[in-house]
Amino acid sequence: MDALFYIFSIIAIFSALMVILVKNPLTSALYVVLCFFALAGFYILLNMQFLAAMQILVYAGAIIVLIVLVIMLLNLAKAKDTIKDFHQLSVGIISVLLLFVEIILYLNTAGETKPTGIYTNAVINKIGNTQIIGQFLFTKYVFPFEVASILLLVAVIGAYIFAKK
Amino acid sequence: MNVNVNVNDYLAVASIIFCIGALGVLIRKNLITIFLSLELMFNAANLGFVAVSEYLNLISGDIFVIFIMVVAAAEAAILLGIAIAFYREKGAISMDKANELKF
Repeated sequence: MDALFYIFSIIAIFSALMVILVKNPLTSALYVVLCFFALAGFYILLNMQFLAAMQILVYAGAIIVLIVLVIMLLNLAKAKDTIKDFHQLSVGIISVLLLFVEIILYLNTAGETKPTGIYTNAVINKIGNTQIIGQFLFTKYVFPFEVASILLLVAVIGAYIFAKK
Repeated sequence: MNVNVNVNDYLAVASIIFCIGALGVLIRKNLITIFLSLELMFNAANLGFVAVSEYLNLISGDIFVIFIMVVAAAEAAILLGIAIAFYREKGAISMDKANELKF
């Protein structure tokens, strides 16, 4: 299992780097799909098979396909992008390095928290992770669930208003 | 199941992917690539949620990941509408063309 973790992390980091380094947006989208598959592997290692399936179906299957459709619709595959602006590049790299150092410092200085919940891997495997997510989604988190449906409705109307003319 | 790999390793990978996504948002000029970098940042946050939720033996983080996926889908629909409207207006998708608020 540890070997799988290292393989997945190498694939995920490599493909994430390629997303921001290649010039063609279509190639970027394909590397994003590769990164999402590696992340789905992480979810399986973390004993959340339902989320892994959702990751592949919703992200790689719906969202990225939508983006690829727009790239093809607008004929953007030839819209080459050059990273030549010196100020943008230097400020971006420095601020992201600072961000990384801050995240690592935060993770190192935060106090250690002991596991508090009752849903260990054995309990989740006994009930089934899909069932447990469904139970939580329709009891404790039913109000955010309804709000999410309204959010999707608003997004559909907004996308229609933006794109019509 | 994970003998040597613990939650810190997952958080390290998540923070590296998050920083790569932030770098992509800052240095690229193509609207589509910026959007793909945003998706990378969303997914790094998701990985952090799932790893910590598994470590603390909770379910809340996994539920939160589903809501983040909903928000990402809504954002994708809106942003692609904006991309189409922007392309219709300017004939290109580079953020250099979005300069009407410049003074």
